[in-house]
Amino acid sequence: MQAIYVQVLALILMSLGIATALCRRNVFFVLMGVELALNAVNLSIIGFSKTFAEVASVTGQIIPLFTIAVAAAEACVGLAIIILIFRNQDSADVDNYSNMRG
Amino acid sequence: MLALIYFIILAVVAVGCSLCIFFTKHPLYASIAMVTTMLSLAGIYGLLGSPFVGVVQIMVYAGAVMTLLMFIILVLNGSRDTRTKRFDKVSIFVLLSVLAVAALTSIVLCHASFDFNPDTVRGGVDVTAHTLFDVSASGNGYYLLVLAVGLVLLSAMATAVILARKRIASDPENAKLEEVH
Repeated sequence: MQAIYVQVLALILMSLGIATALCRRNVFFVLMGVELALNAVNLSIIGFSKTFAEVASVTGQIIPLFTIAVAAAEACVGLAIIILIFRNQDSADVDNYSNMRG
Repeated sequence: MLALIYFIILAVVAVGCSLCIFFTKHPLYASIAMVTTMLSLAGIYGLLGSPFVGVVQIMVYAGAVMTLLMFIILVLNGSRDTRTKRFDKVSIFVLLSVLAVAALTSIVLCHASFDFNPDTVRGGVDVTAHTLFDVSASGNGYYLLVLAVGLVLLSAMATAVILARKRIASDPENAKLEEVH
């Protein structure tokens, strides 16, 4: 097993995540695409951290913990905003969300 | 060799479930596929020698974030919105540009030379905790970041609670409306 396999997997997941977030019209899929891209970044950081020794490798394994925490906060606020907009517009289509009127 | 076989199995599951997220129509099925992707990614973290990150991934992502997302899909009944198209014309350009970026990055990856370091540290609970909560003056100061992340999570929770309420109750007119509902 080589280190580049992990990076290739992270690249595939990142591309799929960005494609999901930008192509799909449903707002839930946009959120899931963002989460997938964040996960791919975590995987890439951990894969690279294993190419270092001692302190640097521990640092590389701690950064994903902060990424996960920030992603949890992002999902929390994002879903609250989705609840609000869904009540007003009664639609999951992101194209309907283009006006910011409440 | 055995690690490679495990990695291939987990990677195939992860990529297959991500493709399922991309192509499926129902948001609930997509969220279940997302949970499976996260579980297989947690397995890959354990395989790479970071079991603590894998456990946190299962607890926070698969356990908390995706459960919240699933719950909201169920509460809002978002799947009844059948008028929303899956893709539109812009999607072709987005796909092409994503493929171009992926191709460029893979070229860079193929030309870089890096491999696993034999002296790398296995990120178990003890090592991670020692590094995170090293409060000595000569330490690395990660505990301050932990405090900052705690504040971020707290403010996110407060924001979510305030946003998800129907109306602000301190407003006297709205308070009356809220009683009616």
